[in-house]
Amino acid sequence: MSREYWRSLDELADTPEYRALVEKEFPGLAEDLISPQTRRAFLKVMGASLGVAGLAACRWPRETILPFAHRPADRIPGVPQQYATAMELGGAALGLLVTSYDGRPIKVEGNPLHPGSRGAASALAQASLLGLYDPDRSKQVLRRDGGQTLVSSWDEFAAFAGPHFAALRASRGAGLVVLAEASSSPSLARLRAAFAQAFPAAGWFEWEPLAGDHGRAAAARLFGQAVRPQLHLDRADVVLCLDADPIFSHPDAVRHAREFAARRRAADGTMNRLFAVGPAVTLTAAAADHRLAVPAGRVVGVAARLLVELRRLGVAVPGADAFAAVATADPNEAAFAAAAARDLAAARGRGLVVAGASPAPAHEVAALANLALGNVGETVVYTRDGEAGAVPAAGGLAEFLAAAAGAGTALLLGGNPAYAAPPELRFAERLAQVPVRIRLSEYEDETSRLATWHLPRAHYLESWGDARAWDGTYSVQQPLIEALYGGRTALDIVALTLGGSAPSAYEIVRATLGGLAGGVLEDAWRSALNDGVLAGSAFPAVAVALTGRPASVPPAAAATAGGFEAVFTADASVYDGRFANNAWLQEMPDPLSKVTWDNAALLAPATAAALGVGRGDVIKVASGGRAVEIAVFVMPGQAEGTVVLPLGYGRTAAGSVGDGVGIDVYPFRPAGAPEFVAGVTIEKTGRHHVLACTQDQHPVDRVGYEARGQRIAELIREGTLAEFLADPEFVRKMDEQPASAPIFASPKLTGEHQWAMSIDLSACIGCNACMIACQAENNIAVVGRDQVIRGRAMHWIRVDRYFSGKPATAKVAFQPMACQQCENAPCEQVCPVGATMHSDEGLNEQVYNRCVGTRYCSNNCPYKVRRFNFFNYFKNVPESEKLVFNPEVTVRGRGVMEKCSFCIQRIEAVKITARNERRPVRDGEIVPACAQTCPAQAIVFGDIKDPASRASRLRADKRSYAVLGELNTKPRLTYLAKLRNPSGKVGEGG
Amino acid sequence: MSAAPYLPDNTIEAPGTRAPLVLGDNDFASVTEKVCGIVERPKPPRWWYAAFAVSSALTAVLLALMGYLFMVGIGVWGVMIPVGWGFAIVNFVFWVGIGHAGTLISAILFLFRQKWRTGINRFAEAMTIFAVMCAGLFPAIHTGRPWFDYWLFPYPNQMYLWPNFRSPLLWDVFAVSTYFTVSLLFWYTGMVPDLATLRDRAKTRARKIVYGILSLGWRGSGRHWHRYERTYLMLAALATPLVLSVHSVVSFDFAVAQLPGWHSTIFPPYFVAGAIFSGFAMVITLIVPVRSYFGLHDLITARHLDNMAKITLATGLMVAYSYGIEFFMAWYSGNQYERFALVNRALGPYAWAFWIMMTCNVAAPQAFWFRKVRQTPWMLVTVALLVNVGMWFERFVIVVSSLSRDYLPSSWGYYKPTWVDLGTLAGSFGLFFFLFLLFLRFGPMIAMAEVKSVMPAAGLEHGPHHGHGQYWGEIPHQHDVQRGDARP
Repeated sequence: MSREYWRSLDELADTPEYRALVEKEFPGLAEDLISPQTRRAFLKVMGASLGVAGLAACRWPRETILPFAHRPADRIPGVPQQYATAMELGGAALGLLVTSYDGRPIKVEGNPLHPGSRGAASALAQASLLGLYDPDRSKQVLRRDGGQTLVSSWDEFAAFAGPHFAALRASRGAGLVVLAEASSSPSLARLRAAFAQAFPAAGWFEWEPLAGDHGRAAAARLFGQAVRPQLHLDRADVVLCLDADPIFSHPDAVRHAREFAARRRAADGTMNRLFAVGPAVTLTAAAADHRLAVPAGRVVGVAARLLVELRRLGVAVPGADAFAAVATADPNEAAFAAAAARDLAAARGRGLVVAGASPAPAHEVAALANLALGNVGETVVYTRDGEAGAVPAAGGLAEFLAAAAGAGTALLLGGNPAYAAPPELRFAERLAQVPVRIRLSEYEDETSRLATWHLPRAHYLESWGDARAWDGTYSVQQPLIEALYGGRTALDIVALTLGGSAPSAYEIVRATLGGLAGGVLEDAWRSALNDGVLAGSAFPAVAVALTGRPASVPPAAAATAGGFEAVFTADASVYDGRFANNAWLQEMPDPLSKVTWDNAALLAPATAAALGVGRGDVIKVASGGRAVEIAVFVMPGQAEGTVVLPLGYGRTAAGSVGDGVGIDVYPFRPAGAPEFVAGVTIEKTGRHHVLACTQDQHPVDRVGYEARGQRIAELIREGTLAEFLADPEFVRKMDEQPASAPIFASPKLTGEHQWAMSIDLSACIGCNACMIACQAENNIAVVGRDQVIRGRAMHWIRVDRYFSGKPATAKVAFQPMACQQCENAPCEQVCPVGATMHSDEGLNEQVYNRCVGTRYCSNNCPYKVRRFNFFNYFKNVPESEKLVFNPEVTVRGRGVMEKCSFCIQRIEAVKITARNERRPVRDGEIVPACAQTCPAQAIVFGDIKDPASRASRLRADKRSYAVLGELNTKPRLTYLAKLRNPSGKVGEGG
Repeated sequence: MSAAPYLPDNTIEAPGTRAPLVLGDNDFASVTEKVCGIVERPKPPRWWYAAFAVSSALTAVLLALMGYLFMVGIGVWGVMIPVGWGFAIVNFVFWVGIGHAGTLISAILFLFRQKWRTGINRFAEAMTIFAVMCAGLFPAIHTGRPWFDYWLFPYPNQMYLWPNFRSPLLWDVFAVSTYFTVSLLFWYTGMVPDLATLRDRAKTRARKIVYGILSLGWRGSGRHWHRYERTYLMLAALATPLVLSVHSVVSFDFAVAQLPGWHSTIFPPYFVAGAIFSGFAMVITLIVPVRSYFGLHDLITARHLDNMAKITLATGLMVAYSYGIEFFMAWYSGNQYERFALVNRALGPYAWAFWIMMTCNVAAPQAFWFRKVRQTPWMLVTVALLVNVGMWFERFVIVVSSLSRDYLPSSWGYYKPTWVDLGTLAGSFGLFFFLFLLFLRFGPMIAMAEVKSVMPAAGLEHGPHHGHGQYWGEIPHQHDVQRGDARP
């Protein structure tokens, strides 16, 4: 990183001298160039920055500019560089590796050295890159005075904050309250300690809308210490999830997905077995071998039943008595619990019970069961729960508001409580009582509108910081680019309040690392920056012993009496609403419903039928005087009597992308019951709202329904582990021979390599990470809600989701579908101008320049993976977002067809490197974006001309098959059949 | 519009006689007078102005929508993934189909010595030319980047690129352009003697010049006639295979694809039959009002209409048979995707279009079994209009319903046209009628020279004549008998 370089540009763009210079130089353009509000200005400044060499040479002889004549070390123009950093979400970090092209980050990937990531990254983390370039991000300090909003500056804020906080320090911080979003940053923890010293009377509170503190409470109660479970799904033969979604919505989900998927391949003839109980169809529920769909209020009953069953099997569970009374008596639920108990008891030390969004008693059951079964220390390890002195986050908002009454200064660091707070807390009203409200945020969002001072926050890719992963692994966040809009970090602001010569975030983080790492600081610093992790910084295991007793559990039946149960979930795309302005994520379909640009009330088929509503019918969900009107999506497999409401939509101050998208269900969410609430009424409104889905946009009639049912078994070949072991050829036996020989000669596949891909349907969890990886890598356009409804989404790889079985107990299968790179490609034959051709390495290549856009290729593609530019979808892309483009991939214009290329740019880059180094391409060296990021490692790419390559071996695997192989398309993308591992002892659908 | 005069019924097949094809008290001069009179009227009738205004407006709509399309992109239409082809290709196939009747009448019926063709062939050929022009428009504008359409032609270029001869779209380019060229030549060649007549009768300078140029110096000498008839015969021989080939090739766009519902070997004959079916229906639709408005009942007689109705019925039955065979083959193939494509066609989301097609193309033409329907102009036009609608929907069903649900259920979709699609379809009709009305106004809509050759006065009934207007096997004086009847 050439810090000076960017530092000087910052000055170039910001200083009065610069302004004066611009005014002198371009009087007509000065306004545009200086005004931070115009995107054009941004581009000019960026353009100026990138053209720095020429600039320095002839126009503005500024000494502070470092000309490229002195090339920074290891910097070759046009050659991308990768920097390790970390992104924090909800108080846990994911280690990342960010690719930067000539100073602009263009791709976020997982850091292979990071234990939580191992190279994989979630869709959210990858898409956060687009947020960096979001032109709607806050660009200036704002001061609100009465009704007026005035454009201010950091200098003005400093001038205000200096004396203001000095006075507060003098009064020991009386009347100062801080509300921060959850953070795992040791640096922030350090500053917080200093803050507590400087302002002993001040209050510091943390709050996250999706906190889920029940596990923390249960651990504190049972073990008497703040510990968090670290799951080792790769060691677990049997997993029971109590309304938990460890493979997708857990802070450590990326690691969990990999570990879980590792046990789904049956390579050694074994698989894990997953039991899942809960209301919503989460990705864990979709992956489960046995699933029990019950309302969230009944999960504790099922969990209690598990303990009863375990005891019956002779497992001594201390503290189980407390649960006996609430154990469910429902035969179906009992059978499920018995089956799970049987398998868990048979796999002592190799089983795992996980609790998630479920109430504290379920967490207690999980802890007790794991303890009794000897799983602790094997499949689950307890470590300390975050930074020392971490504060529980769920109640933080209420405490903050209580403390804010009569306070003089409120400091709000991140989060968006004005949007996400439960309405009964009257957040806006009570915050307004505080005279000075300082707010640090990336956007001028709902909360910023309430602030007297709004401070633009730097994106994590442009700021120094640090964070810990769920397992405690410490990472330094390093900036890849100088703050585009002059934002600063929470570290900067807290340091500012402490007075004195506030150290920069860089200095703070360096000092923190110095405290954490032994040895020479510079060495530790360099290796931490290089590796992205501080070796050995993971939390050590903590021995736990049962010191407390479980709380007495209230009978669940009373709570669920009457009405429906509303379940609140984080949204797969916008999380808690913070990604609402991210167009990649808005257009990323929900993994299960495939809804884009919207949230929907999910109802079980029977519930929807009983209510007489179908997809898109707007219902009114009401409870205790609160109501929300939202369109229905019927979700097969969901628990009857529940309505699942994804949070994070209906933003009013998200930005031009996210405003007004979907329905805000936060106002419906009670403070006391953030996970689910019973006794909800649902009524029809008679209105209809079209949901934009990337799959099944139009309701499937009876004819289609039947045909689809027949086909799924062939398209997604699946069987049970037992079937596979009994007859390993069962997948191959489903092959149908092509009816006829091809008329035309096959392309000459004489290349040095023959590329192929294999996707393991057993491993795929359907998380969409590949879609966003592909979108970022291949400059894929976002088309918007209307175009999605029209059937024009552009994703090169999509994840097809199929339900099978009865709607009430539907099983889910995912099938990532990208160009199959057919050897006998139907598209190639019909293109009149030869715009799609076959390479001698077996790639089906799309030549954009040659394409006239007849769309015949798409019509003739049996997989419908080709995507057409019906409009110039990049026409209205903000200038700043054009910086996210991967320069290695053409940005497609209007009227041409496009499709997956197997990331040919990556193939060629590696081939060139190998040729320069006079060596063959190594197996696994070329990794397309989708394969690179797949948390489940379900996608393998390689050269099948090399019989030893992984791709070759997977192609020869017993489970390998080609979709629609009977068409004689000879796809280069083959799938490994999906295996499930039901116990055979529990009824279908659990 | 003139009331239908009393004319003898020439539809009755009397054994031993041939029905006259020109009725009323007509000789060569009166035929010339009738046909040329239409062109030479100082002003066209009021209805012509009204129709011309409407069709010009629609043509303007077409041009405006094309401009919009070129400016904004193909997304202004309803096409999407999976339905990559929508109205444009439906309209293309529809108009190419319409463009079949003319050349069939001029060429194939000529070779088969169907003398009744003389009354309608010019008219039908003009219709063909204009329909093919409308058809050719659509493939050209439906591409994503129409400014590169010329890449479909194999021309030597600096890019060293050549089109892909495996693609049926490329075959289309050749088939349609060849068809258009030959049809145009055939139409124009046949028109030369009539243009010369118009030239000879021209009273204004402009007409003299224009018709003079167009008639290519025709003087009506025996040598001219000889050359002319040879050329015409040869062009007919050239055009005949084209009639069959062009729609076969169009059908390859679908049949060669692997899409269930498209991939079918019956498509070429089925498409040709359908094209003739729709073409004749369009000729009937147009010629009945024109005949009535211009008082051409004695040249375009009930027998002409009756014959056309019969051909429509025959080809309609072929089309119905093809529909049946498609279903049979889908079942018989044992291929689940084929079966589904057809079941989905009849019972799926586009069932409404399918049943419109079945009603209009299978049920409606059965009315032509009845002589009364064949000879009652309004009934004839009603059925013909239904057939036109049905044949448009046939193409819609084939193109859209097959694409909307192919192999992977995950990519099933539902195509809905936009207002631009509808406007462009209406605009193509506008363009068609715009050209057609101009032809009615300025061109000889009945082949005078050919009609005269089937009149007794031509004296061609005595012995063989080769080439144009040839007659053999005539029964002497047959026309005299019936002409006598016609005299009140």
